[in-house]
Amino acid sequence: MSLIGRVDQAIRRSSAWRSIFRNAYPNDERSRAYAVMNNVFLHLHPVRVRQHAVKFAYTFCLGGLSFFLFLVLTVTGVYLMFFYAPSATQAYSDILKIQTLVPFGQITRNIHRWGAHLMVFFVFLHMMRVFYHGAYKPPREFNWVVGVLLLFLTIMLSFTGYLLPWDQIAYWAITIGSNMAGYAPLFNTPSKLLLLGGLEVGQNTLLRFYVLHVMVLPLLAAVFLAVHFWRIRKDGGISGPL
Amino acid sequence: MSDEQRPGPVAPVDPSRRTEIDKQRVPMAARPYRLLALVKQDAVVRVQKEPDDTVMTWPHLLTIEFFSAVAMSILLLLLGLFINAPLEELANPNVTPAVAKAPWYFLGLQELLAYFHPTVAGALSPIGILVGSALIPYLDRRNIHSTRPSDRKLEVSLFSILWALGLVVTFIGIFFRGPGYSFILPWVNGFFFSL
Repeated sequence: MSLIGRVDQAIRRSSAWRSIFRNAYPNDERSRAYAVMNNVFLHLHPVRVRQHAVKFAYTFCLGGLSFFLFLVLTVTGVYLMFFYAPSATQAYSDILKIQTLVPFGQITRNIHRWGAHLMVFFVFLHMMRVFYHGAYKPPREFNWVVGVLLLFLTIMLSFTGYLLPWDQIAYWAITIGSNMAGYAPLFNTPSKLLLLGGLEVGQNTLLRFYVLHVMVLPLLAAVFLAVHFWRIRKDGGISGPL
Repeated sequence: MSDEQRPGPVAPVDPSRRTEIDKQRVPMAARPYRLLALVKQDAVVRVQKEPDDTVMTWPHLLTIEFFSAVAMSILLLLLGLFINAPLEELANPNVTPAVAKAPWYFLGLQELLAYFHPTVAGALSPIGILVGSALIPYLDRRNIHSTRPSDRKLEVSLFSILWALGLVVTFIGIFFRGPGYSFILPWVNGFFFSL
Protein backbone atom coordinates (compact mmCIF):
# COMPACT_ATOMS: atom_id res chain seq x y z
CA MET A 1 0.00 0.00 0.00
CA SER A 2 1.27 3.43 -0.86
CA LEU A 3 2.18 5.94 1.79
CA ILE A 4 -0.89 8.08 1.04
CA GLY A 5 -3.11 5.03 1.28
CA ARG A 6 -1.65 4.12 4.66
CA VAL A 7 -2.05 7.66 5.98
CA ASP A 8 -5.61 7.66 4.66
CA GLN A 9 -6.32 4.39 6.47
CA ALA A 10 -4.74 5.66 9.67
CA ILE A 11 -6.88 8.81 9.59
CA ARG A 12 -10.06 6.87 8.94
CA ARG A 13 -9.32 4.41 11.71
CA SER A 14 -8.44 7.07 14.26
CA SER A 15 -10.91 7.51 17.08
CA ALA A 16 -11.20 11.24 16.29
CA TRP A 17 -12.33 10.53 12.71
CA ARG A 18 -14.75 7.84 13.83
CA SER A 19 -16.20 10.15 16.46
CA ILE A 20 -17.21 12.55 13.65
CA PHE A 21 -18.22 10.10 10.93
CA ARG A 22 -20.07 7.12 12.39
CA ASN A 23 -20.19 5.19 9.12
CA ALA A 24 -17.82 4.50 6.29
CA TYR A 25 -18.46 6.25 2.99
CA PRO A 26 -21.90 5.01 1.92
CA ASN A 27 -21.70 2.68 -1.07
CA ASP A 28 -24.82 0.53 -0.86
CA GLU A 29 -28.51 1.29 -0.38
CA ARG A 30 -28.53 0.54 3.31
CA SER A 31 -25.59 2.77 4.19
CA ARG A 32 -26.87 5.51 1.87
CA ALA A 33 -30.21 5.44 3.65
CA TYR A 34 -28.38 5.78 6.98
CA ALA A 35 -26.25 8.60 5.64
CA VAL A 36 -29.33 10.64 4.72
CA MET A 37 -31.22 9.75 7.89
CA ASN A 38 -28.39 10.35 10.33
CA ASN A 39 -27.06 13.63 8.97
CA VAL A 40 -28.66 16.74 10.43
CA PHE A 41 -28.47 18.61 7.12
CA LEU A 42 -29.43 15.75 4.82
CA HIS A 43 -32.30 14.49 6.94
CA LEU A 44 -34.46 17.30 5.56
CA HIS A 45 -34.75 14.86 2.68
CA PRO A 46 -36.54 11.55 2.79
CA VAL A 47 -34.35 8.50 2.21
CA ARG A 48 -36.07 7.83 -1.10
CA VAL A 49 -37.69 10.35 -3.44
CA ARG A 50 -40.06 9.84 -6.29
CA GLN A 51 -38.38 9.36 -9.59
CA HIS A 52 -40.08 12.21 -11.43
CA ALA A 53 -38.97 14.61 -8.70
CA VAL A 54 -35.27 14.13 -9.38
CA LYS A 55 -35.62 15.14 -13.00
CA PHE A 56 -34.05 18.57 -13.19
CA ALA A 57 -36.76 19.84 -15.54
CA TYR A 58 -39.49 19.14 -12.98
CA THR A 59 -38.43 21.71 -10.38
CA PHE A 60 -35.40 23.33 -12.04
CA CYS A 61 -34.14 23.34 -8.43
CA LEU A 62 -35.79 26.76 -8.07
CA GLY A 63 -36.78 26.39 -4.42
CA GLY A 64 -33.48 24.80 -3.50
CA LEU A 65 -31.54 27.52 -5.30
CA SER A 66 -33.58 30.23 -3.56
CA PHE A 67 -32.56 28.65 -0.26
CA PHE A 68 -28.95 28.35 -1.43
CA LEU A 69 -28.98 32.07 -2.29
CA PHE A 70 -30.40 32.77 1.17
CA LEU A 71 -27.39 30.97 2.66
CA VAL A 72 -24.92 32.78 0.39
CA LEU A 73 -26.52 36.11 1.34
CA THR A 74 -26.26 35.22 5.03
CA VAL A 75 -22.55 34.47 4.75
CA THR A 76 -21.64 37.48 2.59
CA GLY A 77 -23.95 39.71 4.65
CA VAL A 78 -22.29 38.76 7.93
CA TYR A 79 -18.88 39.55 6.41
CA LEU A 80 -20.11 42.97 5.28
CA MET A 81 -21.55 43.65 8.74
CA PHE A 82 -18.03 43.68 10.22
CA PHE A 83 -17.20 46.81 8.21
CA TYR A 84 -20.47 48.72 8.18
CA ALA A 85 -22.12 51.09 10.64
CA PRO A 86 -25.77 52.08 10.04
CA SER A 87 -25.18 55.78 10.53
CA ALA A 88 -26.15 58.45 8.03
CA THR A 89 -22.74 60.08 8.43
CA GLN A 90 -20.67 56.89 8.22
CA ALA A 91 -22.56 54.35 6.10
CA TYR A 92 -21.55 55.71 2.70
CA SER A 93 -17.86 56.02 3.57
CA ASP A 94 -17.99 52.48 5.01
CA ILE A 95 -19.22 51.23 1.65
CA LEU A 96 -16.34 53.05 -0.04
CA LYS A 97 -13.92 51.43 2.43
CA ILE A 98 -15.46 48.02 1.82
CA GLN A 99 -14.86 48.53 -1.90
CA THR A 100 -11.30 49.75 -1.62
CA LEU A 101 -9.68 48.74 1.68
CA VAL A 102 -11.42 45.60 2.94
CA PRO A 103 -9.92 42.32 1.63
CA PHE A 104 -12.39 40.81 -0.85
CA GLY A 105 -14.76 43.64 0.09
CA GLN A 106 -15.74 44.61 -3.44
CA ILE A 107 -16.46 41.06 -4.60
CA THR A 108 -18.34 40.28 -1.39
CA ARG A 109 -20.51 43.33 -1.86
CA ASN A 110 -21.04 42.45 -5.54
CA ILE A 111 -22.06 38.88 -4.74
CA HIS A 112 -24.37 40.11 -1.98
CA ARG A 113 -26.03 42.56 -4.36
CA TRP A 114 -26.44 40.23 -7.35
CA GLY A 115 -27.37 37.32 -5.11
CA ALA A 116 -30.15 39.41 -3.58
CA HIS A 117 -31.63 40.31 -6.98
CA LEU A 118 -31.31 36.69 -8.08
CA MET A 119 -33.04 35.48 -4.93
CA VAL A 120 -36.10 37.69 -5.54
CA PHE A 121 -36.11 36.50 -9.14
CA PHE A 122 -35.79 32.81 -8.22
CA VAL A 123 -38.51 33.01 -5.59
CA PHE A 124 -40.83 34.49 -8.25
CA LEU A 125 -39.88 31.68 -10.65
CA HIS A 126 -40.37 29.06 -7.94
CA MET A 127 -43.84 30.41 -7.29
CA MET A 128 -44.69 30.12 -10.99
CA ARG A 129 -43.35 26.56 -11.18
CA VAL A 130 -45.47 25.55 -8.18
CA PHE A 131 -48.56 27.15 -9.67
CA TYR A 132 -48.21 25.52 -13.07
CA HIS A 133 -47.78 22.11 -11.42
CA GLY A 134 -50.90 22.70 -9.34
CA ALA A 135 -48.69 21.85 -6.38
CA TYR A 136 -50.70 24.11 -4.05
CA LYS A 137 -53.69 21.79 -4.23
CA PRO A 138 -54.78 19.78 -1.18
CA PRO A 139 -53.08 18.84 1.07
CA ARG A 140 -50.50 21.51 0.26
CA GLU A 141 -52.71 24.63 0.51
CA PHE A 142 -51.13 26.05 3.62
CA ASN A 143 -47.59 25.50 2.42
CA TRP A 144 -48.44 27.75 -0.53
CA VAL A 145 -49.54 30.43 1.97
CA VAL A 146 -46.23 30.02 3.82
CA GLY A 147 -44.54 30.39 0.44
CA VAL A 148 -46.35 33.66 -0.30
CA LEU A 149 -45.23 34.90 3.11
CA LEU A 150 -41.65 33.92 2.24
CA LEU A 151 -41.95 35.83 -1.04
CA PHE A 152 -43.07 38.89 0.93
CA LEU A 153 -40.17 38.46 3.39
CA THR A 154 -37.71 38.08 0.49
CA ILE A 155 -38.92 41.31 -1.11
CA MET A 156 -38.78 43.13 2.21
CA LEU A 157 -35.26 41.80 2.83
CA SER A 158 -34.21 43.14 -0.55
CA PHE A 159 -36.01 46.45 -0.02
CA THR A 160 -34.51 47.10 3.44
CA GLY A 161 -31.05 46.18 2.15
CA TYR A 162 -31.45 48.59 -0.76
CA LEU A 163 -31.20 51.60 1.59
CA LEU A 164 -28.04 50.58 3.42
CA PRO A 165 -25.38 51.94 0.98
CA TRP A 166 -26.91 55.37 1.66
CA ASP A 167 -26.21 56.72 -1.82
CA GLN A 168 -28.56 58.53 -4.18
CA ILE A 169 -29.96 55.32 -5.72
CA ALA A 170 -30.69 53.90 -2.29
CA TYR A 171 -32.15 57.06 -0.82
CA TRP A 172 -34.53 57.84 -3.67
CA ALA A 173 -35.58 54.27 -4.37
CA ILE A 174 -36.62 53.88 -0.74
CA THR A 175 -38.28 57.30 -0.75
CA ILE A 176 -40.38 56.35 -3.77
CA GLY A 177 -41.08 52.84 -2.52
CA SER A 178 -42.21 53.97 0.89
CA ASN A 179 -44.22 56.85 -0.59
CA MET A 180 -46.19 54.26 -2.56
CA ALA A 181 -46.89 52.23 0.57
CA GLY A 182 -47.84 55.46 2.29
CA TYR A 183 -50.75 56.06 -0.08
CA ALA A 184 -52.97 53.81 1.98
CA PRO A 185 -55.61 56.18 3.37
CA LEU A 186 -55.55 56.57 7.16
CA PHE A 187 -52.32 54.59 7.35
CA ASN A 188 -50.17 57.09 5.51
CA THR A 189 -48.69 59.06 8.38
CA PRO A 190 -48.76 56.33 11.07
CA SER A 191 -47.18 53.73 8.79
CA LYS A 192 -44.48 56.16 7.73
CA LEU A 193 -43.74 57.07 11.32
CA LEU A 194 -43.50 53.38 12.17
CA LEU A 195 -41.43 52.28 9.17
CA LEU A 196 -39.30 55.34 8.49
CA GLY A 197 -39.17 56.72 12.03
CA GLY A 198 -40.15 60.10 10.63
CA LEU A 199 -41.97 61.70 7.74
CA GLU A 200 -39.07 61.17 5.38
CA VAL A 201 -36.11 58.84 5.00
CA GLY A 202 -33.39 59.73 7.51
CA GLN A 203 -31.10 58.39 10.24
CA ASN A 204 -34.00 56.65 12.01
CA THR A 205 -34.96 54.93 8.77
CA LEU A 206 -31.42 53.73 8.19
CA LEU A 207 -31.23 52.20 11.67
CA ARG A 208 -34.67 50.63 11.42
CA PHE A 209 -34.03 49.16 7.99
CA TYR A 210 -30.64 47.88 9.18
CA VAL A 211 -32.12 46.08 12.18
CA LEU A 212 -34.90 44.66 10.03
CA HIS A 213 -32.41 43.64 7.34
CA VAL A 214 -29.79 41.91 9.47
CA MET A 215 -31.88 40.54 12.32
CA VAL A 216 -35.68 40.59 12.25
CA LEU A 217 -36.41 39.58 8.66
CA PRO A 218 -33.69 36.89 8.33
CA LEU A 219 -34.86 35.26 11.58
CA LEU A 220 -38.48 35.36 10.45
CA ALA A 221 -37.48 33.97 7.07
CA ALA A 222 -35.48 31.17 8.73
CA VAL A 223 -38.46 30.20 10.87
CA PHE A 224 -40.83 30.13 7.92
CA LEU A 225 -38.26 28.30 5.76
CA ALA A 226 -38.16 25.60 8.42
CA VAL A 227 -41.96 25.38 8.38
CA HIS A 228 -41.94 25.38 4.57
CA PHE A 229 -39.46 22.46 4.30
CA TRP A 230 -41.07 20.52 7.15
CA ARG A 231 -44.47 20.75 5.56
CA ILE A 232 -43.20 19.48 2.19
CA ARG A 233 -42.36 16.22 3.98
CA LYS A 234 -45.51 16.19 6.09
CA ASP A 235 -47.77 16.88 3.10
CA GLY A 236 -46.49 13.81 1.30
CA GLY A 237 -43.29 14.97 -0.32
CA ILE A 238 -42.96 16.75 -3.61
CA SER A 239 -46.12 17.04 -5.71
CA GLY A 240 -46.91 14.46 -8.35
CA PRO A 241 -46.08 14.66 -12.06
CA LEU A 242 -48.59 16.33 -14.37
CA MET B 1 -61.20 -6.79 4.87
CA SER B 2 -57.69 -6.94 3.47
CA ASP B 3 -55.95 -10.16 2.67
CA GLU B 4 -53.79 -10.13 5.78
CA GLN B 5 -56.73 -9.82 8.14
CA ARG B 6 -58.69 -12.71 6.63
CA PRO B 7 -58.18 -15.81 8.82
CA GLY B 8 -55.96 -18.35 7.12
CA PRO B 9 -56.21 -22.15 7.43
CA VAL B 10 -56.32 -23.30 11.05
CA ALA B 11 -53.05 -24.79 12.23
CA PRO B 12 -53.33 -28.21 13.84
CA VAL B 13 -53.77 -27.84 17.57
CA ASP B 14 -51.40 -29.48 19.99
CA PRO B 15 -53.40 -32.55 21.24
CA SER B 16 -52.56 -31.78 24.87
CA ARG B 17 -54.20 -28.35 24.50
CA ARG B 18 -57.38 -29.46 22.75
CA THR B 19 -60.39 -27.79 24.25
CA GLU B 20 -64.00 -28.78 24.09
CA ILE B 21 -64.49 -26.52 21.10
CA ASP B 22 -61.60 -28.14 19.23
CA LYS B 23 -63.10 -31.56 19.83
CA GLN B 24 -66.42 -30.50 18.38
CA ARG B 25 -64.84 -29.07 15.19
CA VAL B 26 -66.17 -30.48 11.95
CA PRO B 27 -63.34 -32.24 10.08
CA MET B 28 -62.28 -30.44 6.91
CA ALA B 29 -63.28 -33.39 4.72
CA ALA B 30 -66.81 -33.28 6.08
CA ARG B 31 -67.32 -29.55 5.56
CA PRO B 32 -70.25 -29.03 3.24
CA TYR B 33 -68.93 -26.62 0.54
CA ARG B 34 -71.14 -24.83 -1.86
CA LEU B 35 -70.15 -22.88 -4.93
CA LEU B 36 -71.24 -19.32 -4.33
CA ALA B 37 -69.56 -17.41 -7.14
CA LEU B 38 -66.69 -17.42 -9.56
CA VAL B 39 -64.30 -14.56 -9.07
CA LYS B 40 -61.87 -13.40 -11.70
CA GLN B 41 -58.26 -14.08 -10.90
CA ASP B 42 -57.07 -10.47 -10.91
CA ALA B 43 -59.90 -9.41 -8.61
CA VAL B 44 -58.65 -11.76 -5.89
CA VAL B 45 -54.92 -11.38 -6.32
CA ARG B 46 -54.55 -7.82 -5.18
CA VAL B 47 -51.36 -5.98 -5.94
CA GLN B 48 -49.97 -5.69 -2.43
CA LYS B 49 -47.26 -3.19 -3.21
CA GLU B 50 -47.48 -0.47 -5.82
CA PRO B 51 -44.67 -0.54 -8.37
CA ASP B 52 -41.76 1.29 -6.79
CA ASP B 53 -41.29 4.64 -8.52
CA THR B 54 -38.76 5.98 -6.03
CA VAL B 55 -35.01 6.32 -6.17
CA MET B 56 -32.40 6.78 -3.45
CA THR B 57 -31.92 10.38 -2.29
CA TRP B 58 -28.20 9.62 -2.08
CA PRO B 59 -26.95 9.82 -4.81
CA HIS B 60 -29.78 10.77 -7.21
CA LEU B 61 -31.23 13.90 -5.58
CA LEU B 62 -28.08 15.03 -3.79
CA THR B 63 -26.07 14.99 -7.02
CA ILE B 64 -28.52 17.32 -8.72
CA GLU B 65 -28.63 19.63 -5.72
CA PHE B 66 -24.86 19.68 -5.52
CA PHE B 67 -24.36 20.55 -9.17
CA SER B 68 -27.10 23.22 -9.11
CA ALA B 69 -25.38 24.82 -6.13
CA VAL B 70 -22.03 24.66 -7.92
CA ALA B 71 -23.51 26.23 -11.07
CA MET B 72 -25.10 29.01 -8.99
CA SER B 73 -21.81 29.62 -7.16
CA ILE B 74 -19.95 29.94 -10.46
CA LEU B 75 -22.59 32.36 -11.77
CA LEU B 76 -22.33 34.46 -8.59
CA LEU B 77 -18.54 34.47 -8.70
CA LEU B 78 -18.52 35.57 -12.35
CA LEU B 79 -21.09 38.29 -11.67
CA GLY B 80 -19.15 39.41 -8.61
CA LEU B 81 -15.85 39.45 -10.45
CA PHE B 82 -16.94 41.29 -13.55
CA ILE B 83 -19.89 43.53 -12.63
CA ASN B 84 -19.58 45.94 -9.74
CA ALA B 85 -22.60 46.76 -7.61
CA PRO B 86 -23.77 50.31 -8.38
CA LEU B 87 -22.85 53.12 -6.05
CA GLU B 88 -23.65 56.76 -6.71
CA GLU B 89 -22.93 59.92 -4.74
CA LEU B 90 -23.76 60.26 -1.08
CA ALA B 91 -27.49 60.43 -0.37
CA ASN B 92 -28.77 64.00 -0.54
CA PRO B 93 -32.40 64.70 0.38
CA ASN B 94 -32.19 68.12 -1.28
CA VAL B 95 -31.20 66.86 -4.73
CA THR B 96 -33.79 64.76 -6.48
CA PRO B 97 -31.98 62.78 -9.20
CA ALA B 98 -33.31 63.09 -12.75
CA VAL B 99 -34.30 59.45 -12.74
CA ALA B 100 -35.80 58.25 -9.46
CA LYS B 101 -37.09 54.70 -9.64
CA ALA B 102 -38.09 52.13 -7.06
CA PRO B 103 -36.32 48.72 -7.01
CA TRP B 104 -37.25 46.63 -10.08
CA TYR B 105 -39.79 44.42 -8.30
CA PHE B 106 -41.77 47.54 -7.35
CA LEU B 107 -41.50 49.20 -10.76
CA GLY B 108 -44.76 47.60 -11.91
CA LEU B 109 -46.50 49.35 -9.03
CA GLN B 110 -44.70 52.60 -9.78
CA GLU B 111 -45.88 52.29 -13.37
CA LEU B 112 -49.46 51.81 -12.15
CA LEU B 113 -49.10 55.13 -10.32
CA ALA B 114 -48.98 56.77 -13.74
CA TYR B 115 -52.47 55.50 -14.57
CA PHE B 116 -54.40 55.12 -11.33
CA HIS B 117 -55.14 56.97 -8.13
CA PRO B 118 -52.29 56.45 -5.62
CA THR B 119 -54.59 54.54 -3.29
CA VAL B 120 -55.28 52.00 -6.03
CA ALA B 121 -51.73 51.72 -7.33
CA GLY B 122 -49.77 52.09 -4.11
CA ALA B 123 -51.98 50.44 -1.53
CA LEU B 124 -54.78 48.33 -2.97
CA SER B 125 -52.84 46.55 -5.71
CA PRO B 126 -49.93 45.31 -3.58
CA ILE B 127 -52.29 44.19 -0.83
CA GLY B 128 -54.56 42.60 -3.43
CA ILE B 129 -51.65 40.79 -5.10
CA LEU B 130 -50.33 39.40 -1.81
CA VAL B 131 -53.68 38.43 -0.28
CA GLY B 132 -54.97 37.19 -3.63
CA SER B 133 -51.91 34.96 -4.15
CA ALA B 134 -52.19 33.56 -0.64
CA LEU B 135 -55.86 32.72 -1.26
CA ILE B 136 -55.29 30.88 -4.56
CA PRO B 137 -55.50 27.36 -3.04
CA TYR B 138 -58.74 28.24 -1.27
CA LEU B 139 -60.37 29.84 -4.31
CA ASP B 140 -59.33 27.21 -6.85
CA ARG B 141 -61.73 24.40 -5.83
CA ARG B 142 -62.60 23.20 -9.34
CA ASN B 143 -61.22 19.72 -10.16
CA ILE B 144 -59.70 19.97 -6.76
CA HIS B 145 -57.27 17.07 -6.97
CA SER B 146 -56.39 17.35 -10.62
CA THR B 147 -53.08 18.88 -11.59
CA ARG B 148 -53.45 18.13 -15.28
CA PRO B 149 -53.18 21.31 -17.38
CA SER B 150 -56.20 20.22 -19.44
CA ASP B 151 -58.35 20.31 -16.29
CA ARG B 152 -57.03 23.70 -15.26
CA LYS B 153 -57.31 25.76 -18.43
CA LEU B 154 -59.16 28.62 -16.72
CA GLU B 155 -56.85 28.79 -13.71
CA VAL B 156 -53.70 28.59 -15.79
CA SER B 157 -54.92 31.24 -18.24
CA LEU B 158 -55.99 33.66 -15.48
CA PHE B 159 -52.70 33.27 -13.64
CA SER B 160 -50.69 33.65 -16.85
CA ILE B 161 -52.60 36.75 -17.93
CA LEU B 162 -52.07 38.42 -14.53
CA TRP B 163 -48.37 37.53 -14.63
CA ALA B 164 -48.06 38.84 -18.17
CA LEU B 165 -49.74 42.11 -17.15
CA GLY B 166 -47.36 42.44 -14.21
CA LEU B 167 -44.38 41.74 -16.48
CA VAL B 168 -45.54 44.30 -19.06
CA VAL B 169 -45.95 47.15 -16.56
CA THR B 170 -42.63 46.20 -14.92
CA PHE B 171 -40.88 46.21 -18.31
CA ILE B 172 -42.36 49.59 -19.17
CA GLY B 173 -41.22 50.91 -15.78
CA ILE B 174 -37.71 49.53 -16.28
CA PHE B 175 -37.01 50.36 -19.93
CA PHE B 176 -39.54 52.94 -21.13
CA ARG B 177 -39.33 55.53 -18.36
CA GLY B 178 -36.65 58.18 -18.19
CA PRO B 179 -35.98 61.54 -16.55
CA GLY B 180 -38.93 62.78 -14.54
CA TYR B 181 -40.57 59.41 -15.18
CA SER B 182 -41.42 60.53 -18.71
CA PHE B 183 -42.06 58.00 -21.46
CA ILE B 184 -38.92 57.25 -23.48
CA LEU B 185 -37.74 54.71 -26.03
CA PRO B 186 -34.67 52.83 -24.76
CA TRP B 187 -33.20 52.40 -28.25
CA VAL B 188 -33.40 56.19 -28.79
CA ASN B 189 -32.81 57.71 -25.37
CA GLY B 190 -30.86 54.90 -23.66
CA PHE B 191 -31.32 53.11 -20.36
CA PHE B 192 -32.35 54.86 -17.16
CA PHE B 193 -32.19 52.06 -14.71
CA SER B 194 -29.91 50.75 -11.99
CA LEU B 195 -30.10 47.47 -10.14
